[in-house]
Amino acid sequence: MNSRERVLKLFKGEPVDRVPCFSGMGNVTEEGINKLGYRFADIHLDAKMMADTAATTYKIFGFESGVVPVDLCVEAEALGCVINVYPHAEGILYPTIKEKLIHKEDEMDIKIPTDLAARGRVPLLAEAIKLLKADIGNDVAIGSYVLGPFTLAGQIMELNDLLKLSFKKADKVAKLLDVMADAIVIVAKEYEKAGTDFITVREMGATTDVLSPRVFKSLILPPLQKIMKEIKVHSVLHICGKTNDIVTDMMDSGTKAISVEQKNDVAESRKKLGKDALIFGNYDPYNVLVSGDEELVRSTMRKCIDDGVSAVWPGCDIWPTVPPKNMLAMIDEVKKYGGKQ
Amino acid sequence: MVDEAKKKEVLEKLKNAVIQYDEDACKEGATEAVELGMDANEAIFDGLVAGMEEVGRLFEAQEYFVPEILMCADALYAGLDILKPHCQQMDLGIKGSVVIGTVEGDVHDIGKNLVKMMFDVAGFNVYDLGRDVPLDKFVEEQLRTDSELVCLSAMMTTSMVGMPKVIENIKKKNPDCLIMIGGAPTSKELADRWGADGYAEDASNALKEAIKMVAFLKKLRDEKLKK
Repeated sequence: MNSRERVLKLFKGEPVDRVPCFSGMGNVTEEGINKLGYRFADIHLDAKMMADTAATTYKIFGFESGVVPVDLCVEAEALGCVINVYPHAEGILYPTIKEKLIHKEDEMDIKIPTDLAARGRVPLLAEAIKLLKADIGNDVAIGSYVLGPFTLAGQIMELNDLLKLSFKKADKVAKLLDVMADAIVIVAKEYEKAGTDFITVREMGATTDVLSPRVFKSLILPPLQKIMKEIKVHSVLHICGKTNDIVTDMMDSGTKAISVEQKNDVAESRKKLGKDALIFGNYDPYNVLVSGDEELVRSTMRKCIDDGVSAVWPGCDIWPTVPPKNMLAMIDEVKKYGGKQ
Repeated sequence: MVDEAKKKEVLEKLKNAVIQYDEDACKEGATEAVELGMDANEAIFDGLVAGMEEVGRLFEAQEYFVPEILMCADALYAGLDILKPHCQQMDLGIKGSVVIGTVEGDVHDIGKNLVKMMFDVAGFNVYDLGRDVPLDKFVEEQLRTDSELVCLSAMMTTSMVGMPKVIENIKKKNPDCLIMIGGAPTSKELADRWGADGYAEDASNALKEAIKMVAFLKKLRDEKLKK
Protein backbone atom coordinates (compact mmCIF):
# COMPACT_ATOMS: atom_id res chain seq x y z
CA MET A 1 0.00 0.00 0.00
CA ASN A 2 1.67 3.24 -1.02
CA SER A 3 1.01 6.61 0.57
CA ARG A 4 -1.58 7.60 -1.98
CA GLU A 5 -3.58 4.39 -1.57
CA ARG A 6 -3.35 4.65 2.20
CA VAL A 7 -4.77 8.18 2.33
CA LEU A 8 -7.49 7.56 -0.25
CA LYS A 9 -8.57 4.32 1.43
CA LEU A 10 -8.76 6.16 4.73
CA PHE A 11 -11.08 8.74 3.20
CA LYS A 12 -13.26 5.98 1.77
CA GLY A 13 -13.53 4.29 5.15
CA GLU A 14 -11.62 1.22 3.99
CA PRO A 15 -9.05 -0.53 6.21
CA VAL A 16 -5.47 0.79 6.12
CA ASP A 17 -2.24 -0.81 7.33
CA ARG A 18 -1.36 2.15 9.53
CA VAL A 19 -2.26 5.72 10.37
CA PRO A 20 -0.99 8.00 7.57
CA CYS A 21 1.17 11.07 8.20
CA PHE A 22 -0.01 13.90 5.99
CA SER A 23 -1.70 17.29 5.88
CA GLY A 24 -4.16 19.25 3.80
CA MET A 25 -2.71 22.56 4.92
CA GLY A 26 0.51 24.31 3.97
CA ASN A 27 3.63 22.21 4.41
CA VAL A 28 6.47 23.66 2.35
CA THR A 29 9.86 23.68 4.05
CA GLU A 30 12.93 25.89 3.84
CA GLU A 31 14.91 22.73 3.20
CA GLY A 32 12.82 22.12 0.08
CA ILE A 33 12.92 25.73 -1.09
CA ASN A 34 16.69 25.93 -0.67
CA LYS A 35 17.30 22.64 -2.48
CA LEU A 36 15.44 24.09 -5.46
CA GLY A 37 17.29 27.39 -5.19
CA TYR A 38 14.02 29.34 -4.95
CA ARG A 39 13.02 32.29 -2.75
CA PHE A 40 9.89 31.97 -0.61
CA ALA A 41 8.52 35.29 -1.87
CA ASP A 42 8.66 34.03 -5.48
CA ILE A 43 6.80 30.76 -5.14
CA HIS A 44 3.40 32.42 -4.64
CA LEU A 45 3.33 33.91 -8.13
CA ASP A 46 4.61 31.04 -10.28
CA ALA A 47 2.69 27.78 -10.73
CA LYS A 48 5.75 25.70 -11.45
CA MET A 49 7.77 27.04 -8.55
CA MET A 50 4.79 26.53 -6.24
CA ALA A 51 4.24 22.94 -7.41
CA ASP A 52 7.97 22.12 -7.31
CA THR A 53 8.22 23.40 -3.76
CA ALA A 54 5.08 21.61 -2.61
CA ALA A 55 6.44 18.31 -3.98
CA THR A 56 9.66 18.51 -1.95
CA THR A 57 7.99 17.71 1.39
CA TYR A 58 7.17 14.27 -0.02
CA LYS A 59 10.38 13.91 -2.02
CA ILE A 60 12.76 14.81 0.80
CA PHE A 61 10.91 13.56 3.86
CA GLY A 62 8.32 11.07 2.64
CA PHE A 63 5.40 13.22 3.84
CA GLU A 64 2.29 11.51 2.55
CA SER A 65 0.56 14.30 0.60
CA GLY A 66 1.34 17.16 -1.73
CA VAL A 67 -0.55 20.40 -1.11
CA VAL A 68 -1.04 23.75 -2.82
CA PRO A 69 -1.79 26.67 -2.21
CA VAL A 70 0.94 27.85 0.13
CA ASP A 71 -0.71 31.04 1.42
CA LEU A 72 -4.23 32.03 2.53
CA CYS A 73 -5.05 34.90 0.20
CA VAL A 74 -6.20 33.25 -3.03
CA GLU A 75 -9.97 33.69 -2.58
CA ALA A 76 -9.79 37.23 -1.17
CA GLU A 77 -7.52 38.30 -4.00
CA ALA A 78 -9.88 36.85 -6.61
CA LEU A 79 -12.73 38.75 -4.98
CA GLY A 80 -10.82 42.00 -5.43
CA CYS A 81 -8.59 42.50 -2.40
CA VAL A 82 -5.02 43.62 -2.96
CA ILE A 83 -2.41 41.32 -1.46
CA ASN A 84 1.16 41.84 -0.32
CA VAL A 85 3.60 39.00 -1.02
CA TYR A 86 6.47 40.90 0.63
CA PRO A 87 8.55 40.54 -2.55
CA HIS A 88 11.76 41.83 -0.96
CA ALA A 89 11.55 39.94 2.31
CA GLU A 90 14.69 38.01 3.11
CA GLY A 91 13.11 35.39 5.35
CA ILE A 92 9.72 33.77 5.39
CA LEU A 93 6.76 36.12 5.32
CA TYR A 94 3.40 34.79 4.18
CA PRO A 95 1.28 37.02 1.92
CA THR A 96 -1.35 39.16 3.64
CA ILE A 97 -4.29 41.32 2.52
CA LYS A 98 -3.24 44.91 1.97
CA GLU A 99 -6.51 46.42 0.81
CA LYS A 100 -9.91 45.23 1.97
CA LEU A 101 -13.01 45.07 -0.17
CA ILE A 102 -15.59 46.17 2.39
CA HIS A 103 -14.77 49.26 4.44
CA LYS A 104 -18.05 49.87 6.22
CA GLU A 105 -21.28 48.18 7.09
CA ASP A 106 -23.27 49.49 4.14
CA GLU A 107 -20.77 48.01 1.68
CA MET A 108 -21.49 44.47 2.80
CA ASP A 109 -23.94 43.74 0.04
CA ILE A 110 -21.35 42.48 -2.46
CA LYS A 111 -21.74 40.50 -5.65
CA ILE A 112 -19.35 37.79 -6.78
CA PRO A 113 -17.57 38.73 -10.04
CA THR A 114 -18.96 36.53 -12.80
CA ASP A 115 -15.43 35.61 -13.89
CA LEU A 116 -14.21 34.72 -10.38
CA ALA A 117 -12.64 31.46 -11.57
CA ALA A 118 -10.42 33.43 -13.96
CA ARG A 119 -9.39 36.13 -11.51
CA GLY A 120 -6.35 36.61 -9.30
CA ARG A 121 -4.34 33.46 -8.85
CA VAL A 122 -7.19 30.94 -9.23
CA PRO A 123 -5.91 29.84 -12.68
CA LEU A 124 -2.34 29.76 -11.35
CA LEU A 125 -3.46 27.46 -8.55
CA ALA A 126 -5.30 25.17 -10.98
CA GLU A 127 -2.11 24.97 -13.00
CA ALA A 128 -0.03 24.26 -9.89
CA ILE A 129 -2.38 21.41 -8.91
CA LYS A 130 -2.00 19.86 -12.36
CA LEU A 131 1.79 20.12 -12.21
CA LEU A 132 1.93 18.71 -8.71
CA LYS A 133 -0.34 15.85 -9.68
CA ALA A 134 1.76 15.04 -12.75
CA ASP A 135 4.90 15.09 -10.60
CA ILE A 136 3.98 13.05 -7.52
CA GLY A 137 0.29 12.18 -8.00
CA ASN A 138 0.98 8.46 -8.39
CA ASP A 139 2.74 8.30 -5.06
CA VAL A 140 0.75 10.58 -2.76
CA ALA A 141 -2.69 12.14 -2.48
CA ILE A 142 -2.89 15.71 -3.78
CA GLY A 143 -4.65 18.18 -1.54
CA SER A 144 -5.82 21.77 -1.85
CA TYR A 145 -7.48 24.10 0.56
CA VAL A 146 -10.00 26.91 0.57
CA LEU A 147 -10.94 29.22 3.40
CA GLY A 148 -14.15 28.90 5.34
CA PRO A 149 -16.85 31.58 4.86
CA PHE A 150 -16.25 33.42 8.14
CA THR A 151 -12.47 33.42 7.77
CA LEU A 152 -12.79 34.75 4.22
CA ALA A 153 -15.27 37.42 5.34
CA GLY A 154 -12.72 38.42 8.00
CA GLN A 155 -10.21 39.02 5.22
CA ILE A 156 -12.38 41.13 2.94
CA MET A 157 -13.67 43.34 5.76
CA GLU A 158 -12.38 44.46 9.17
CA LEU A 159 -12.50 41.46 11.46
CA ASN A 160 -13.31 43.81 14.30
CA ASP A 161 -16.50 44.96 12.53
CA LEU A 162 -17.40 41.46 11.36
CA LEU A 163 -17.23 40.12 14.92
CA LYS A 164 -19.36 42.89 16.35
CA LEU A 165 -21.90 42.65 13.54
CA SER A 166 -22.16 38.89 13.95
CA PHE A 167 -23.63 39.80 17.32
CA LYS A 168 -25.53 42.98 16.52
CA LYS A 169 -26.75 42.24 12.99
CA ALA A 170 -26.52 38.51 12.55
CA ASP A 171 -28.83 38.48 9.51
CA LYS A 172 -26.55 40.84 7.61
CA VAL A 173 -23.53 38.70 8.39
CA ALA A 174 -25.42 35.52 7.49
CA LYS A 175 -26.14 37.01 4.07
CA LEU A 176 -22.48 37.88 3.53
CA LEU A 177 -21.36 34.41 4.61
CA ASP A 178 -23.77 32.85 2.15
CA VAL A 179 -22.15 34.88 -0.65
CA MET A 180 -18.72 33.81 0.66
CA ALA A 181 -19.85 30.18 0.49
CA ASP A 182 -20.78 30.61 -3.18
CA ALA A 183 -17.40 32.16 -3.95
CA ILE A 184 -15.56 29.40 -2.10
CA VAL A 185 -17.48 26.73 -4.03
CA ILE A 186 -16.47 28.34 -7.34
CA VAL A 187 -12.79 28.19 -6.35
CA ALA A 188 -13.11 24.64 -4.97
CA LYS A 189 -14.66 23.52 -8.27
CA GLU A 190 -11.62 24.82 -10.15
CA TYR A 191 -9.34 22.83 -7.85
CA GLU A 192 -11.45 19.73 -8.41
CA LYS A 193 -11.30 20.16 -12.17
CA ALA A 194 -7.53 20.46 -11.91
CA GLY A 195 -7.44 17.07 -10.23
CA THR A 196 -7.07 17.56 -6.51
CA ASP A 197 -7.91 14.44 -4.48
CA PHE A 198 -9.15 16.22 -1.39
CA ILE A 199 -10.01 19.72 -0.23
CA THR A 200 -9.60 21.12 3.26
CA VAL A 201 -11.93 23.95 4.26
CA ARG A 202 -10.01 26.09 6.71
CA GLU A 203 -12.43 27.96 8.93
CA MET A 204 -9.75 29.15 11.35
CA GLY A 205 -11.50 32.37 12.24
CA ALA A 206 -14.62 30.73 13.62
CA THR A 207 -12.92 29.08 16.56
CA THR A 208 -14.72 28.73 19.87
CA ASP A 209 -11.89 30.83 21.36
CA VAL A 210 -13.57 33.69 19.50
CA LEU A 211 -17.21 32.81 18.84
CA SER A 212 -19.63 30.97 21.08
CA PRO A 213 -20.75 27.46 20.10
CA ARG A 214 -24.24 28.92 19.77
CA VAL A 215 -23.14 31.47 17.18
CA PHE A 216 -21.11 28.78 15.42
CA LYS A 217 -24.22 26.69 15.01
CA SER A 218 -26.55 29.47 13.92
CA LEU A 219 -24.22 31.53 11.76
CA ILE A 220 -21.23 29.47 10.58
CA LEU A 221 -22.66 26.01 10.13
CA PRO A 222 -25.25 26.78 7.39
CA PRO A 223 -22.74 28.23 4.87
CA LEU A 224 -20.29 25.43 5.72
CA GLN A 225 -23.00 22.88 4.92
CA LYS A 226 -23.60 24.62 1.63
CA ILE A 227 -19.91 24.32 0.74
CA MET A 228 -19.55 20.69 1.83
CA LYS A 229 -22.57 19.71 -0.21
CA GLU A 230 -20.89 21.04 -3.34
CA ILE A 231 -17.43 19.55 -2.80
CA LYS A 232 -17.37 16.25 -4.64
CA VAL A 233 -13.82 15.12 -3.79
CA HIS A 234 -12.93 14.10 -0.22
CA SER A 235 -13.35 16.94 2.24
CA VAL A 236 -11.82 17.98 5.53
CA LEU A 237 -13.03 20.75 7.85
CA HIS A 238 -10.33 22.45 9.91
CA ILE A 239 -11.07 24.73 12.84
CA CYS A 240 -8.47 26.07 15.29
CA GLY A 241 -8.70 26.35 19.05
CA LYS A 242 -10.55 24.46 21.73
CA THR A 243 -12.99 22.68 19.42
CA ASN A 244 -14.27 19.98 21.78
CA ASP A 245 -17.62 21.71 22.21
CA ILE A 246 -18.29 21.85 18.48
CA VAL A 247 -16.85 18.61 17.03
CA THR A 248 -20.36 17.23 16.53
CA ASP A 249 -21.42 20.40 14.72
CA MET A 250 -18.26 20.20 12.63
CA MET A 251 -19.25 16.71 11.52
CA ASP A 252 -22.78 17.95 10.82
CA SER A 253 -21.33 20.24 8.16
CA GLY A 254 -21.28 17.18 5.94
CA THR A 255 -17.49 16.97 5.81
CA LYS A 256 -15.84 13.59 5.47
CA ALA A 257 -13.17 14.35 8.06
CA ILE A 258 -12.45 16.97 10.69
CA SER A 259 -9.07 18.49 11.45
CA VAL A 260 -8.35 19.72 14.97
CA GLU A 261 -5.34 21.30 16.61
CA GLN A 262 -3.43 20.64 19.82
CA LYS A 263 -5.99 22.42 22.03
CA ASN A 264 -8.55 19.74 21.17
CA ASP A 265 -8.66 16.75 23.48
CA VAL A 266 -8.77 14.05 20.79
CA ALA A 267 -9.48 11.16 23.18
CA GLU A 268 -12.56 13.10 24.24
CA SER A 269 -13.55 13.87 20.63
CA ARG A 270 -13.12 10.22 19.69
CA LYS A 271 -15.45 9.18 22.49
CA LYS A 272 -18.02 11.72 21.33
CA LEU A 273 -17.86 10.91 17.61
CA GLY A 274 -17.39 7.15 17.70
CA LYS A 275 -14.77 4.84 16.25
CA ASP A 276 -15.47 5.40 12.56
CA ALA A 277 -15.32 9.19 12.48
CA LEU A 278 -12.30 10.58 10.65
CA ILE A 279 -10.43 12.84 13.07
CA PHE A 280 -7.16 14.31 11.81
CA GLY A 281 -4.72 15.93 14.21
CA ASN A 282 -3.38 17.21 16.38
CA TYR A 283 0.27 18.02 16.99
CA ASP A 284 1.58 21.55 17.54
CA PRO A 285 3.49 22.33 14.35
CA TYR A 286 5.60 25.03 15.97
CA ASN A 287 6.29 24.11 19.59
CA VAL A 288 6.73 20.43 18.78
CA LEU A 289 7.88 20.16 15.20
CA VAL A 290 10.02 23.29 14.89
CA SER A 291 11.33 23.97 18.37
CA GLY A 292 10.99 20.56 19.99
CA ASP A 293 13.73 17.92 19.98
CA GLU A 294 13.47 14.56 18.27
CA GLU A 295 12.27 12.82 21.42
CA LEU A 296 9.42 15.33 21.87
CA VAL A 297 8.46 14.86 18.24
CA ARG A 298 8.36 11.09 18.64
CA SER A 299 6.45 11.08 21.92
CA THR A 300 3.93 13.58 20.53
CA MET A 301 3.29 11.36 17.50
CA ARG A 302 2.68 8.40 19.80
CA LYS A 303 0.31 10.47 21.92
CA CYS A 304 -1.71 11.55 18.86
CA ILE A 305 -2.04 7.91 17.82
CA ASP A 306 -2.88 6.71 21.34
CA ASP A 307 -5.53 9.41 21.63
CA GLY A 308 -7.13 7.97 18.53
CA VAL A 309 -6.42 10.19 15.50
CA SER A 310 -7.30 8.67 12.13
CA ALA A 311 -4.30 10.43 10.59
CA VAL A 312 -1.36 12.20 12.18
CA TRP A 313 -1.75 15.72 10.88
CA PRO A 314 -0.58 19.16 12.07
CA GLY A 315 -2.72 21.71 13.93
CA CYS A 316 -1.88 24.39 11.35
CA ASP A 317 0.59 25.01 8.51
CA ILE A 318 3.94 23.34 8.98
CA TRP A 319 6.34 26.20 9.56
CA PRO A 320 9.06 26.25 6.84
CA THR A 321 12.05 26.43 9.21
CA VAL A 322 11.23 22.98 10.59
CA PRO A 323 14.49 21.10 11.24
CA PRO A 324 14.82 18.24 8.71
CA LYS A 325 15.67 15.74 11.46
CA ASN A 326 12.33 16.48 13.14
CA MET A 327 10.40 15.93 9.90
CA LEU A 328 12.17 12.61 9.44
CA ALA A 329 11.61 11.60 13.07
CA MET A 330 7.90 12.42 12.76
CA ILE A 331 7.37 10.26 9.70
CA ASP A 332 9.58 7.48 11.02
CA GLU A 333 7.68 7.33 14.30
CA VAL A 334 4.27 7.27 12.58
CA LYS A 335 5.48 4.42 10.34
CA LYS A 336 6.74 2.45 13.33
CA TYR A 337 3.91 3.14 15.76
CA GLY A 338 0.98 3.92 13.50
CA GLY A 339 -0.05 0.32 12.82
CA LYS A 340 -0.18 -0.76 16.43
CA GLN A 341 -3.75 0.36 17.10
CA MET B 1 -18.18 67.54 48.56
CA VAL B 2 -19.57 64.89 46.28
CA ASP B 3 -22.51 63.01 47.71
CA GLU B 4 -21.20 59.50 48.49
CA ALA B 5 -24.44 57.74 47.59
CA LYS B 6 -24.66 59.61 44.30
CA LYS B 7 -21.01 58.83 43.56
CA LYS B 8 -21.56 55.17 44.18
CA GLU B 9 -24.52 55.23 41.84
CA VAL B 10 -22.49 56.81 39.04
CA LEU B 11 -19.62 54.32 39.45
CA GLU B 12 -22.09 51.46 39.34
CA LYS B 13 -23.65 52.94 36.21
CA LEU B 14 -20.28 53.18 34.46
CA LYS B 15 -19.37 49.65 35.48
CA ASN B 16 -22.66 48.18 34.28
CA ALA B 17 -22.59 50.18 31.05
CA VAL B 18 -19.23 48.57 30.18
CA ILE B 19 -20.45 45.10 31.11
CA GLN B 20 -23.65 45.54 29.13
CA TYR B 21 -21.76 47.16 26.22
CA ASP B 22 -24.06 50.16 26.39
CA GLU B 23 -22.17 53.09 24.85
CA ASP B 24 -24.93 55.63 25.50
CA ALA B 25 -25.25 54.72 29.18
CA CYS B 26 -21.48 54.94 29.48
CA LYS B 27 -21.42 58.45 27.99
CA GLU B 28 -24.23 59.44 30.31
CA GLY B 29 -22.44 58.05 33.35
CA ALA B 30 -19.19 59.78 32.40
CA THR B 31 -20.97 63.10 31.86
CA GLU B 32 -22.68 62.78 35.23
CA ALA B 33 -19.33 62.06 36.88
CA VAL B 34 -17.87 65.22 35.36
CA GLU B 35 -20.89 67.34 36.31
CA LEU B 36 -20.76 66.07 39.88
CA GLY B 37 -17.12 67.07 40.07
CA MET B 38 -16.01 63.52 40.76
CA ASP B 39 -12.35 62.57 40.49
CA ALA B 40 -12.04 61.42 36.87
CA ASN B 41 -9.35 58.88 37.72
CA GLU B 42 -11.66 57.31 40.24
CA ALA B 43 -14.46 57.17 37.67
CA ILE B 44 -12.10 55.46 35.24
CA PHE B 45 -10.66 52.91 37.63
CA ASP B 46 -13.59 52.15 39.91
CA GLY B 47 -16.16 52.49 37.15
CA LEU B 48 -14.89 51.64 33.67
CA VAL B 49 -12.00 49.37 34.63
CA ALA B 50 -14.06 47.61 37.28
CA GLY B 51 -16.55 46.86 34.49
CA MET B 52 -13.80 45.58 32.23
CA GLU B 53 -12.54 43.31 35.00
CA GLU B 54 -15.98 41.74 35.21
CA VAL B 55 -15.98 41.40 31.41
CA GLY B 56 -12.67 39.52 31.71
CA ARG B 57 -14.28 37.21 34.23
CA LEU B 58 -17.27 36.61 31.95
CA PHE B 59 -14.86 35.82 29.12
CA GLU B 60 -13.02 33.29 31.24
CA ALA B 61 -16.33 31.70 32.23
CA GLN B 62 -17.15 31.48 28.49
CA GLU B 63 -20.26 33.58 28.96
CA TYR B 64 -18.75 36.30 26.81
CA PHE B 65 -16.83 35.78 23.58
CA VAL B 66 -14.77 38.14 21.47
CA PRO B 67 -17.70 40.04 19.85
CA GLU B 68 -19.03 40.99 23.30
CA ILE B 69 -15.58 42.09 24.48
CA LEU B 70 -15.19 44.35 21.45
CA MET B 71 -18.52 45.97 22.17
CA CYS B 72 -17.58 46.41 25.85
CA ALA B 73 -14.35 48.06 24.71
CA ASP B 74 -16.34 50.50 22.56
CA ALA B 75 -18.45 51.39 25.59
CA LEU B 76 -15.35 51.87 27.73
CA TYR B 77 -13.78 54.22 25.18
CA ALA B 78 -17.03 56.20 24.93
CA GLY B 79 -16.73 56.91 28.65
CA LEU B 80 -12.96 57.33 28.62
CA ASP B 81 -13.11 60.01 25.90
CA ILE B 82 -15.29 62.13 28.16
CA LEU B 83 -13.34 61.52 31.36
CA LYS B 84 -9.78 61.77 30.02
CA PRO B 85 -9.66 65.59 29.65
CA HIS B 86 -10.65 65.90 33.31
CA CYS B 87 -7.93 63.62 34.63
CA GLN B 88 -5.50 65.11 37.09
CA GLN B 89 -1.91 64.07 36.74
CA MET B 90 -2.31 60.44 37.64
CA ASP B 91 -0.36 59.18 40.57
CA LEU B 92 -0.13 55.46 40.05
CA GLY B 93 3.40 55.39 41.38
CA ILE B 94 4.59 54.67 37.87
CA LYS B 95 4.61 56.49 34.59
CA GLY B 96 5.52 55.01 31.34
CA SER B 97 5.41 55.07 27.62
CA VAL B 98 4.96 52.11 25.36
CA VAL B 99 5.53 51.24 21.72
CA ILE B 100 2.98 48.70 20.54
CA GLY B 101 2.16 46.95 17.29
CA THR B 102 1.41 43.72 15.45
CA VAL B 103 4.49 42.29 13.73
CA GLU B 104 5.06 42.16 10.00
CA GLY B 105 3.15 39.46 8.20
CA ASP B 106 0.21 39.68 10.58
CA VAL B 107 -2.79 41.93 9.97
CA HIS B 108 -4.69 40.93 13.10
CA ASP B 109 -4.94 43.70 15.65
CA ILE B 110 -7.87 42.93 17.92
CA GLY B 111 -5.74 41.64 20.78
CA LYS B 112 -3.26 44.44 20.31
CA ASN B 113 -6.04 47.03 20.47
CA LEU B 114 -7.40 45.57 23.70
CA VAL B 115 -3.94 45.75 25.26
CA LYS B 116 -3.57 49.30 23.99
CA MET B 117 -6.86 50.19 25.63
CA MET B 118 -5.56 49.04 28.99
CA PHE B 119 -2.45 51.21 28.57
CA ASP B 120 -4.64 54.17 27.60
CA VAL B 121 -6.68 53.63 30.71
CA ALA B 122 -3.58 53.44 32.90
CA GLY B 123 -2.35 56.77 31.53
CA PHE B 124 0.59 55.48 29.52
CA ASN B 125 1.88 57.37 26.51
CA VAL B 126 1.02 54.94 23.76
CA TYR B 127 2.84 54.90 20.42
CA ASP B 128 0.69 52.61 18.33
CA LEU B 129 2.44 51.42 15.18
CA GLY B 130 -0.64 49.56 13.95
CA ARG B 131 -0.42 46.20 12.24
CA ASP B 132 1.86 44.45 9.76
CA VAL B 133 4.71 46.54 11.18
CA PRO B 134 8.19 45.99 9.65
CA LEU B 135 10.48 44.60 12.35
CA ASP B 136 12.98 47.47 12.13
CA LYS B 137 10.21 49.97 12.76
CA PHE B 138 9.84 48.71 16.35
CA VAL B 139 13.53 49.27 16.97
CA GLU B 140 13.52 52.75 15.41
CA GLU B 141 10.41 53.84 17.29
CA GLN B 142 11.78 52.63 20.59
CA LEU B 143 14.97 54.65 20.05
CA ARG B 144 13.00 57.71 18.94
CA THR B 145 10.61 57.72 21.88
CA ASP B 146 12.91 56.17 24.48
CA SER B 147 9.90 54.23 25.72
CA GLU B 148 10.35 51.90 28.65
CA LEU B 149 8.23 49.22 27.09
CA VAL B 150 7.74 47.59 23.71
CA CYS B 151 4.80 45.26 23.07
CA LEU B 152 4.82 42.86 20.15
CA SER B 153 1.67 41.09 19.11
CA ALA B 154 1.02 38.23 16.69
CA MET B 155 -2.01 36.07 16.13
CA MET B 156 -0.52 33.63 13.70
CA THR B 157 2.39 31.29 14.17
CA THR B 158 3.59 32.31 10.74
CA SER B 159 4.25 35.87 11.89
CA MET B 160 5.21 35.22 15.50
CA VAL B 161 8.59 33.92 14.41
CA GLY B 162 9.69 37.46 13.53
CA MET B 163 9.61 38.36 17.22
CA PRO B 164 13.02 37.08 18.41
CA LYS B 165 14.80 39.28 15.88
CA VAL B 166 13.06 42.43 17.16
CA ILE B 167 13.75 41.51 20.77
CA GLU B 168 17.43 40.92 20.02
CA ASN B 169 17.83 44.19 18.12
CA ILE B 170 16.14 46.32 20.75
CA LYS B 171 18.02 44.72 23.63
CA LYS B 172 21.30 45.22 21.79
CA LYS B 173 20.70 48.97 21.50
CA ASN B 174 18.86 49.49 24.74
CA PRO B 175 19.23 46.69 27.29
CA ASP B 176 16.97 48.50 29.80
CA CYS B 177 13.96 48.47 27.57
CA LEU B 178 11.39 45.89 28.58
CA ILE B 179 9.66 43.80 26.00
CA MET B 180 6.35 42.03 26.16
CA ILE B 181 5.02 39.59 23.64
CA GLY B 182 1.44 38.52 23.29
CA GLY B 183 -1.10 36.77 21.15
CA ALA B 184 -2.63 33.35 20.76
CA PRO B 185 0.45 31.39 19.60
CA THR B 186 2.89 32.86 22.13
CA SER B 187 3.72 31.22 25.42
CA LYS B 188 5.72 31.77 28.59
CA GLU B 189 8.33 29.31 27.29
CA LEU B 190 8.80 31.23 24.03
CA ALA B 191 9.02 34.55 25.91
CA ASP B 192 11.75 33.08 28.10
CA ARG B 193 13.65 31.55 25.24
CA TRP B 194 13.55 34.72 23.14
CA GLY B 195 14.57 36.96 26.03
CA ALA B 196 11.27 38.83 26.35
CA ASP B 197 10.49 40.19 29.82
CA GLY B 198 6.81 39.52 29.82
CA TYR B 199 4.18 37.50 28.11
CA ALA B 200 0.44 37.90 28.00
CA GLU B 201 -2.13 35.75 26.36
CA ASP B 202 -4.83 38.38 26.72
CA ALA B 203 -5.42 42.05 27.45
CA SER B 204 -6.05 41.93 31.19
CA ASN B 205 -2.89 39.93 31.84
CA ALA B 206 -0.92 42.27 29.62
CA LEU B 207 -1.77 45.28 31.77
CA LYS B 208 -0.84 43.53 35.01
CA GLU B 209 2.45 42.40 33.48
CA ALA B 210 3.15 45.84 32.07
CA ILE B 211 2.67 47.64 35.38
CA LYS B 212 4.84 45.09 37.17
CA MET B 213 7.60 45.50 34.63
CA VAL B 214 7.63 49.29 34.58
CA ALA B 215 7.64 49.38 38.38
CA PHE B 216 10.62 47.06 38.38
CA LEU B 217 12.44 49.22 35.86
CA LYS B 218 11.83 52.32 37.94
CA LYS B 219 13.30 50.55 40.95
CA LEU B 220 16.42 49.64 38.97
CA ARG B 221 16.88 53.21 37.81
CA ASP B 222 16.37 54.58 41.32
CA GLU B 223 19.02 52.22 42.64
CA LYS B 224 21.42 53.31 39.91
CA LEU B 225 20.81 56.97 40.75
CA LYS B 226 21.55 56.36 44.43
CA LYS B 227 24.95 54.99 43.50
